[in-house]
Amino acid sequence: MIEALRKKAEELLRSNTVNVVFGYGEGSTPERTRPVFITKPEDVNKLTWNQYCVYNLTTYLKRQETRKLGKPAIIVKGCDAKTVIVLIKESQIKREDVYILGVTCQGVGEPLAVKCKACDVHTPRIYDDLVGEKVENKELSFDERYAELDEYEKMSEKGKWEFWQKQFEKCIKCYACSNICPLCFCDRCIVEKNQPQWIDPSAHARGNLSWNVTRAYHLAGRCINCEECQRVCPADIPLNLLNKKLAKEAEKNFNYRPGYNIDDELAMSTYNAKDNQDFVK
Amino acid sequence: MGKKIGVFVCHCGTNISATVDVEKVAEEAKKKYPGVSYATTYKYMCSDPGQKLLRDKIAEEGLTGVVVAACSPKMHERTFRNAAVKTGLNPYQVEVSNIREQCSWVHQDKAQGTEKSIDLVRMMTEKTRKDRSLEAIKVPVTKRALVIGGGIAGIQAALDIADGGNEVILVEKDASIGGHMAQLSETFPTLDCSQCILTPRMVEVAQHDNITLYTWSEVESVGGYIGNFNVKIRKKARAVDLDLCTGCSSCWQVCPSKKIKSEFDTGLGNRTAIYIPFPQAIPSKPVIDKEHCLLYRDARKKNIPPEESKVCRKCYDVCPIAPVKAIDYAQEDEIVEVKVGAIVVATGYKELPNNVYGEYGKGKYKDVITGLQFERLASASGPTEGEIRRPSDGKEPEIIVFIQCVGSRDPAKGCSYCSKTCCMYTAKHTMLYKHKVHHGHAFVFYIDIRCGGKNYEEFSLRAIEEEGATYLRGRVSRIYKKGEKLVVLGADTLTGSQVEIEADMVVLASAMKAQDDADVVARTLSIQYDKDRFFSELHPKLRPVESSNAGIFLAGACQGPKDIPETVAQASGAAAKVMALLSSDQLEREPVIAKVDRLPPPVFSTCIGCFYCQRVCPYGAIEQEEIKARDGSVIKTVARVNEGLCQGCGLCAATCRSKSVELAGFTDEQVFAEINSVEFN
Repeated sequence: MIEALRKKAEELLRSNTVNVVFGYGEGSTPERTRPVFITKPEDVNKLTWNQYCVYNLTTYLKRQETRKLGKPAIIVKGCDAKTVIVLIKESQIKREDVYILGVTCQGVGEPLAVKCKACDVHTPRIYDDLVGEKVENKELSFDERYAELDEYEKMSEKGKWEFWQKQFEKCIKCYACSNICPLCFCDRCIVEKNQPQWIDPSAHARGNLSWNVTRAYHLAGRCINCEECQRVCPADIPLNLLNKKLAKEAEKNFNYRPGYNIDDELAMSTYNAKDNQDFVK
Repeated sequence: MGKKIGVFVCHCGTNISATVDVEKVAEEAKKKYPGVSYATTYKYMCSDPGQKLLRDKIAEEGLTGVVVAACSPKMHERTFRNAAVKTGLNPYQVEVSNIREQCSWVHQDKAQGTEKSIDLVRMMTEKTRKDRSLEAIKVPVTKRALVIGGGIAGIQAALDIADGGNEVILVEKDASIGGHMAQLSETFPTLDCSQCILTPRMVEVAQHDNITLYTWSEVESVGGYIGNFNVKIRKKARAVDLDLCTGCSSCWQVCPSKKIKSEFDTGLGNRTAIYIPFPQAIPSKPVIDKEHCLLYRDARKKNIPPEESKVCRKCYDVCPIAPVKAIDYAQEDEIVEVKVGAIVVATGYKELPNNVYGEYGKGKYKDVITGLQFERLASASGPTEGEIRRPSDGKEPEIIVFIQCVGSRDPAKGCSYCSKTCCMYTAKHTMLYKHKVHHGHAFVFYIDIRCGGKNYEEFSLRAIEEEGATYLRGRVSRIYKKGEKLVVLGADTLTGSQVEIEADMVVLASAMKAQDDADVVARTLSIQYDKDRFFSELHPKLRPVESSNAGIFLAGACQGPKDIPETVAQASGAAAKVMALLSSDQLEREPVIAKVDRLPPPVFSTCIGCFYCQRVCPYGAIEQEEIKARDGSVIKTVARVNEGLCQGCGLCAATCRSKSVELAGFTDEQVFAEINSVEFN
């Protein structure tokens, strides 16, 4: 599979179909990988593929530095491909300006990442070319996909409040969550707006709460649950729990799964007379 | 320099002062709120002396900001702002704090009501401190109006506007103007002939110098905004050249397809494939019905252009126009683009079809007809030339039953509302029937008789007392056929008995419904509609002819069931609104509109171009702007607000994650100051 990937990358670069390939390279230790940006065909041997390719490379589609490299081919797993769809839907990249190099995947991480347990896109749902043996996308039930929330949802309202207060206390406002998130693509984040200062930037309880809640809300109905925010959080805040809960609500109320189908209208900006109105009291 | 703010607390008689200690609110404001240099109370701030007080104090105290604590800003914000303008203060430095609807009306405990009022006034004071002077936006006005729909509503509106000296474009989707009114026989409460009073108006439309008429046409799209709408009209191909045709009638006399159900005669009469809908049609020039025309059917079957078909060209051959015939099989749809300043929507209604009720035969009994069908039977121009005859066998019905509220007031059939016209037209039907069938007997089943209107009650009583119609209060549960008769089973709830009538004919007073495509029209025009798909007026009492989209007005039954006098009155009302709008060269628009920020390079704007704002904007006011480098390459694509279209609803500002959109008069700073003032005190 690695060979096929390298061959494809070389082909794309040689034919000038793309200017750069975003992929995974070997890390400092065997159980690590790191992002690589291949611009020359002779460098394609730096590309690798293994079960440690946990990252969602699509975050580099939003960055100015990597954008400057020209039209990219990006290696995406089924989950990462969902981000590309959201980015296209939200006008951040044009479909024709990215070459989607899909890879089939049976799950990553050692032990297996939480996201992979609820995965039903082992083969990306969108790609220009696919590398690897095509894997059947086994449809999971709604409950199976949100199983990681089972424990959390058992908590009382008060329990949840206390849980999050405790979690957010740990936040040091490093904004790694927002930096890594492929869908946090604003040039100027709301936290950087200081007239007025909606969110207190210092790391104390009140500002921490408003930052983390606002971040989660800004991802409601958009987050594809790649778990990158949680992975990079130095304070070990289970951020994806919030995202996942909001994703569940979005699907339950609006029957919408971000990035699942490129033809779906975005839930958060589409009015539908049939939408659930029960919350209006 | 800090602002000098004056706080004026209104008693509203005892409306506010009974539940809010207004003196205390004023005292607190003066004592504690930063920036407040004057505070007082007054019995009625909206009264003339109240406004004078406001003006005097602005001048005497040198106030640069005003908070009036009174009723909802919807009521009197404009009053107070106008009062302030007279003293030279910018109107947007005046704010209203709603302590009536939000405090005195919802609280019983005076202490609580007072406490909340104090909070609300403090919040508004904080907002006022950050108020900036705003100037009204001026937009030019195109002095031309579009009227959509050529029924009596559209005709009246078009004539009024045209008489006022403005150009009017009247668009009608059918082949002739006239609408439903042209189909009616006589009209209540005077029993004058509908066509006799309508056709002169139709002729006026045709001859008016200021009116351009597009029949067999539909509005394709509407862009732009009040004063400056861009409209695309689709002129459907009618296969007849209107300029060449003289309406000589040769063509429809020779047309071999003679058995097509006439829409104008509600299916009771026939027409040809090339036809005019009725003799007084305007324009009196035919159209080819391509569904039924032999030539077009042949062309479709063989998949060839119609002009190549040789099946039947009788109309073409007979057409006396030379050298170029008026019949043109190759004619194609044409799109006309026009600019207008105002639009009147007068798209009318449709009658509930009579196949909805299973208990009334589901449309299978030929002699169970709708009210509109009865109109055609009773009309001198109708299929029976005004004689009342059963559609099944042409016999004169000796016993006729009218059933009111068919569909209307029946939520099960989707019309919870009263159709308003049926009580009156049923009374009229019984009279027309008696005038034509002297020995016949008319029964009417009703739930209530609702005859509000000048001379209406008298008219309905006349039907009962002088013309001998038997009115039975109750509903009909079933109609079934017994030989040639229709057995009507119903209840008479006044005597508490079951009634069974062997009738010759039954007339259903069917509900008035919104047009099938009302929702599509509403979306094309960006106007709101209600649960029954009737277009919504801006205010049910005070703005009954304005739609939710500025510059677009409503007339007639497209807004709700209406009779002719009411339709005409509303159409004239809409016309008056249009004329007021077109009378000025420039329009002043509220400057409370949104703006997407612009910054110096290299940022240009904090907008990242996700265009959520564009998707949520109900007015289509968000555009995409490409920011380009000198060489023409696009640096980034960001959102921009069209000032003319924006109504200041603030949805874009609420949706923007990066807070790149600001609503003038409700800036982030102002809202933040309001919220903060509660938190810290």
